[in-house]
Amino acid sequence: MERPRNHFTRGRSYKNDEITVYWKPDACIHASYCYRELIEVFDPGRRPWIDLSGSNTERIIEVVNMCPTEALSWKWNEDARNIDVERDQTNHIKFKRPELMSTEKAKDEIRPVSVKIMVDGPVVVKGNFTIRYNGKEKNFTNGIISLCRCGGSNQMPFCDGTHRKIGFEDK
Amino acid sequence: MERNELDENTGTSAIVEIIDNGPIKISGEIMFWDLKRDITDSPSEIYLCRCGKSSNKPYCDSSHKMRL
Ligand code: FES
Repeated sequence: MERPRNHFTRGRSYKNDEITVYWKPDACIHASYCYRELIEVFDPGRRPWIDLSGSNTERIIEVVNMCPTEALSWKWNEDARNIDVERDQTNHIKFKRPELMSTEKAKDEIRPVSVKIMVDGPVVVKGNFTIRYNGKEKNFTNGIISLCRCGGSNQMPFCDGTHRKIGFEDK
Repeated sequence: MERNELDENTGTSAIVEIIDNGPIKISGEIMFWDLKRDITDSPSEIYLCRCGKSSNKPYCDSSHKMRL
């Protein structure tokens, strides 16, 4: 079954023939280099605000490298070219967003999250997942959590061992 | 030039949502084991009881509402 797997995280990517530019909005500290240097490409008043056709690849890379955070980063579309990128390319994904270096591989290898109902105990969730509770959101990579099923925990939604004390029987 | 409409994929496979005064909802790519009832499954979405009162455990059957 095909499911959209991409709506789980925020951020966007923009491509021309040679490179992909990644935009991570929550990392932006509004240093403003991007649109001061290259409004033809980075125009906060336009939608979409990034348009790579506004300049050439070399200049776009130069300006993306000015971004002081990982809000803007880039990579070559040709995978092999990304491996030997030098440190002076400050905002290449290898340095700013290493997690994106393996995106292509990770896509082939969808690793399901394991959900285990323990006998007369909690449910244990393991893997790469996002949890939302009390208006909070947390991401786990290779994480493990145990959630209360007995209704008695003092640390909801997590299990604190109360199920044993109250003799929770799952039936 | 082509714009990629999709958000980046940083590897989250499932979402665990704790519903206020309600069950645990898990959706996405799931491998499900129920060690008590010896069930293995890969549902795309499940609602698990967390009040201890469901008569269809481990699933929620809305028994939590009876508490009100
Ligand atoms: S299942 Fe452990 S405290 Fe409820």
